Amino acid sequence: MAGPTEDYQYVLGSNDISHREEETTGKDKALDKLVGAGAEESQGVSAGVTERDMATSVGGSIHRSSSRPQLDLSKAEIQGNFEERDPTILLPNQSDDISHLALDIGGSLIKLVYFSRHEDRSNDDDKRKRTTKQRLGITNGSRRSYPILGGRLHFVKFETSKINECLDFIYSKQLHCGGMDSLGWDSESPPRDNAVIKKATGGGAYKFADLFKERLGVSLDKEDEMDCLVAGANFLLKAIRHEAFTHMEGQKEFVLIDHNDLFPYLLVNIGSGVSMIKVDGDGKFERVSGTNVGGGTYWGLGRLLTKCKSFDELLELSQRGDNRTIDMLVGDIYGGMDYSKIGLSASTIASSFGKAISEKKELQDYRPEDISLSLLRMISYNIGQISYLNALRFGLKRIFFGGFFIRGHAYTMDTISFAVHFWSKGEAQAMFLRHEGFLGALGAFMSYEKHGLDDLRVHQLVERFPMGAPYTGGKIHGPPLADLNEKISWMEKFVQKGTEITAPVPMAKPGTTGLGGFEVPSSKGGVLRSDASALNIGVLHLVPTLDVFPLLADPKLYEPNTVDLSDHSELEYWFTVLLEHLSDLVDKAVASEGGTDDAKRRGDAFARAFSAHLARLMEEPAAYGKLGLANLLELREECLREFQFVDAYRSIKQRENEASLAVLPDLLMELDNMSEETRLLTLIEGVLAANIFDWGSRACVDLYHKGTIIEIYRMSRNKMQRPWRVDDFDVFKERMLGSKGKRPHPHKRALLFVDNSGADIVLGMLPLARELLRRGTEVVLVANSLPALNDVTAMELPDIVAEAAKHCDILRRAAEAGGLIVDAMNNSLDGLKEKSPSVPLMVVENGCGSPCIDLRQVSSELATAAKDADLIILEGMGRALHTNLNARFKCDALKLAMVKNQRLAEKLIKGKIYDCVCRYEPAS
Amino acid sequence: MDLKTEVSTRCNDNNQGKVERGSSTPILQRECHGQISHLAIDIGGSLIKLVYFPRDSDGSSKDDKCSTSRERNSISNGDINSSIFGERLRFAKFETSKIGDCIEFIRSKQLHLGRCLHQECPSGEKTIIKATGGGAFKFADLFNEKLGVSLEKEEEMQCLVAGANFLLKTVQQEAFTYADGQKEFMQIDHNDLFPYLLVNIGSGVSMIKVDGDGKFERVSGTSVGGGTFLGLGRLLTKCKSFDELLELSHQGNNRVIDMLVGDIYGGQDYSKIGLASTAIASSFGKAISEDRELEEYKPEDITRSLLRMISNNVGQISYLNALRYGLKRIFFGGFFIRGHTYTMDTISVAVKFWSKGEAQAMFLQHEGFIGALGAFTGYKKHDHEQDQFVQRCSSKVSCADNNLSGGTIKSS
Repeated sequence: MAGPTEDYQYVLGSNDISHREEETTGKDKALDKLVGAGAEESQGVSAGVTERDMATSVGGSIHRSSSRPQLDLSKAEIQGNFEERDPTILLPNQSDDISHLALDIGGSLIKLVYFSRHEDRSNDDDKRKRTTKQRLGITNGSRRSYPILGGRLHFVKFETSKINECLDFIYSKQLHCGGMDSLGWDSESPPRDNAVIKKATGGGAYKFADLFKERLGVSLDKEDEMDCLVAGANFLLKAIRHEAFTHMEGQKEFVLIDHNDLFPYLLVNIGSGVSMIKVDGDGKFERVSGTNVGGGTYWGLGRLLTKCKSFDELLELSQRGDNRTIDMLVGDIYGGMDYSKIGLSASTIASSFGKAISEKKELQDYRPEDISLSLLRMISYNIGQISYLNALRFGLKRIFFGGFFIRGHAYTMDTISFAVHFWSKGEAQAMFLRHEGFLGALGAFMSYEKHGLDDLRVHQLVERFPMGAPYTGGKIHGPPLADLNEKISWMEKFVQKGTEITAPVPMAKPGTTGLGGFEVPSSKGGVLRSDASALNIGVLHLVPTLDVFPLLADPKLYEPNTVDLSDHSELEYWFTVLLEHLSDLVDKAVASEGGTDDAKRRGDAFARAFSAHLARLMEEPAAYGKLGLANLLELREECLREFQFVDAYRSIKQRENEASLAVLPDLLMELDNMSEETRLLTLIEGVLAANIFDWGSRACVDLYHKGTIIEIYRMSRNKMQRPWRVDDFDVFKERMLGSKGKRPHPHKRALLFVDNSGADIVLGMLPLARELLRRGTEVVLVANSLPALNDVTAMELPDIVAEAAKHCDILRRAAEAGGLIVDAMNNSLDGLKEKSPSVPLMVVENGCGSPCIDLRQVSSELATAAKDADLIILEGMGRALHTNLNARFKCDALKLAMVKNQRLAEKLIKGKIYDCVCRYEPAS
Repeated sequence: MDLKTEVSTRCNDNNQGKVERGSSTPILQRECHGQISHLAIDIGGSLIKLVYFPRDSDGSSKDDKCSTSRERNSISNGDINSSIFGERLRFAKFETSKIGDCIEFIRSKQLHLGRCLHQECPSGEKTIIKATGGGAFKFADLFNEKLGVSLEKEEEMQCLVAGANFLLKTVQQEAFTYADGQKEFMQIDHNDLFPYLLVNIGSGVSMIKVDGDGKFERVSGTSVGGGTFLGLGRLLTKCKSFDELLELSHQGNNRVIDMLVGDIYGGQDYSKIGLASTAIASSFGKAISEDRELEEYKPEDITRSLLRMISNNVGQISYLNALRYGLKRIFFGGFFIRGHTYTMDTISVAVKFWSKGEAQAMFLQHEGFIGALGAFTGYKKHDHEQDQFVQRCSSKVSCADNNLSGGTIKSS
């Protein structure tokens, strides 16, 4: 193991000492020794640093994971280490946090896929959340009725030659314990005291069966390799939205796969060798071909020729290579001329390694870089060619390439794509999979009875990229990161090491790989982007409670993002915005956690992690799937949560809510004195004006220093001058109030997607909700499940509504009818059942924790609430502009927002900052 | 041009050159008028192939004596099929990197001079030599400068096809299959020759679908060919020549380096998909082991592994292309093969394996000289002459046994 991985280990090694000295207690040290000794005993350790690190962190992880409350670890360790070698006894009480594991043990690499049921324990609001849901009266509250459990799928790999690292990892994560049975998934599992059975595939499942038995007490249940590859590929192609992509000329483009038109396809798995499988359906396939010239050939020959110590090192070398010194080109034979008659240009490779026949030069006279590139081209091209010929043979238009040879390496993919394109004359397309290396392991995982993945839909999977996934989890793995504390330590060390984390590889503009033909890159070095440093695979969150928003006119055509960050200047702009905003955010986050040293440390780690994500995405925007602005904004929130900043804007939100609630009665009185028509306009103006309070906008944050909330609100409202930049108010008014005396029927139920706390919700949306209620329309306030910036959350809303209802009869009766108030006041659910004359006001969570909303993945509560709705009001930049401005719905939809960003204003509405959008679209 | 050619076949049992197999040499006799060369040349990326009539037909023995040492030199590069009777086509090859030797050879044999009436040649009129291969372009100036000849470029694919067609139609025991160490000559029905796939394995590999005389299309190819074998082989073993590499590979055991199915499956077959434990899962896949460096592998094993990798790959891609165009017959030519049994065996096995026994690999006795021969046939201008010539030839040859030579066939 070398290259980046070695760096990583080195970092851990060198810093471990200092870190341990400051942080660990004597007990930890003793513990480390114990575990370390145990590991050494069973491993027959040879190499110093690596193994010591491994042992150390195994010990560390066991200790630190005691932050998980349900594990009684110290006790268990003693048992495990002294008395019983059988690790299943090690953690007798861990059934609550049990994991499942499947392995794919190939000739060169071991791939693990494991599942962890993972309630978000870091979120101490869990109780409140549950109570809130009960209040709503919409929730059925029966999570257990879902066919699958929520949890996370993790993807990790190891070199097969370092199988001990893998065993240690499994051990430290306790992945060898238990199984589906303890979750009640698989009642046929053998009792605990028998050997635990884990699914495994790949040749190593046979070869290392005894080792697993001996070291972990695990019996490997061998699954057929091809079965697994196909099952894994089918799952990925069906379940993950941005899984397949093309890669031509350095450009990555995601391909939307129509599930009904997926089959047949050719699956080419490039491992040590290459298998080519014609897939006709789930479980219907045939291995039609293969080649022995594969990843093992590249690595094996590469090692012999260059002395590289790892695959990744070899790949990196190839980036700086020039194969013209080694390969015989058509031009070399034809004296620099093209062989145009048969369509071969002078730069076409006529014979791989054909120039290395010169008697004057020995191996050491050739640059390893050139050798590596020549080898890579030879093998990639050959695979592409044979794959195409097989696709042709069976009339398959689509070829998916997977397996660990590719490693997201741009040049490899370009070469394969080129070969397929060239030989098929553009008829066939090479496609790649983001989870390329994990097909087999995933398939093995799916061979568990009732694994539940079959029932998963695209909308129930959310991919997250926690630190350690893109940088450690994706790479050939070192020691596991057990908890936040360890993760932060790792981050600190990583950053100390230098700049790797921010710029893992030299940056290159897309399109410079120069594979214009079967051609040699025009420039010599540094232009071939390698993705080898990170695999771009996150953790798959299985969230069975997510649903597709049922009111989307056409879910297939729906694209939430209005800002496509594949435009490089757009990308740069938003990255700059986010980076500028970062220090302010960190300050707030740290303050929200009491400004303690621990909070500061976490704040630093967050800043580093998020900057690293930005750098990674800047280098390759499609690294985490198709990148839109919404994804980026959500990534920030997720990253905050990852470092346990539960709600960075907590105190700000509270302050603003209080201030706004104080002036609400005056506003309501003012409104009630208006005519219906004026009132409607004033209400919409009010929503737009109040939308100015947005901590996500730099311009607005500056504004706040200039006056009180109510002053700003009034100023903002006074400046409202129609026509707004987008102004459909008159159409909306006609729908609401009718024309020529004809009174239209009111909407039955309106869904109000609310945005910010403070004036926005209190002075903007609540009065609008009140107006709808007054007209006999049920109102459902749709708010975030988790905090994002200063957005109001579903948990906070009942209290706000209750407070507002103190001064307003309409709100009070509606809130009572919706079960919000009674509950809020006396914590009893009895009130729910009382009949109230008013239409109800309800609150549901939207299922996400982002300033934007992707309506393909919303909470089932929202989906349920949406069934009777005939009006949708989307408010705010995040939900009505960054996303969903172009969304079409089955019912009437009103999109309201003030644009608080100059660039966005120009781009979306050809306007300027503080312009307003009032777009009304009747049911389509 | 008035070319009268006489052809016969002769089994070259007592050949003087270094020939690894019983090779038959077509003997062409002809009458010739005018300024015509008796030499055609195919200059590839690694090798230069010559086909020629000895300059002095009745002085060949003397000629041979004169240039014995020179010939010995070239023998070390390859082989010369010399023959005994009458006017015979001869074959020689040189490494392209030693083009000087080749030019010297031509000069010593006076092959650069006009054939018959050269003394009467108008001075200043250059001899024209048919040439093919990329080097015909690259080295045109060199030939002009050193020998005062101009190379007339014949298109490479066309030459390959013409050469192969000529051989398949003319020479009795030209095509053969190879399996389990057994060489078996094929009777080619001339009326059922086309279409076939011609795979020429030179430095790179060209795959040509041949539908008839002059009717062909280059349908595919691969850059993994003879040059790859020699190039990688040299880097990995310090061997100096192709033949040395081949020689080494005889004694090798590729299991040391290749990852076999059994290595992955703990010695078991992967029977479900029909892979035996001895099947190569990954060429050089065992060389990833960290405890062995290049020096610790035997060159024999390396070359064996390399040879299998390339032969297998060529065989596979060839089969897939044959399949694509519904071609039952695949002829392999080019200098990579060199009558090397293990190479032929591997290619045959690959074709057989992938086609599940449906398709057959066939090899040509004059594998390396197809292009040069094709260029040589370019001296004849009219296709119908060739047809006639071939047919008469074939009727003649079909009733001749191996030792029979002579038999005059007039083509005009």
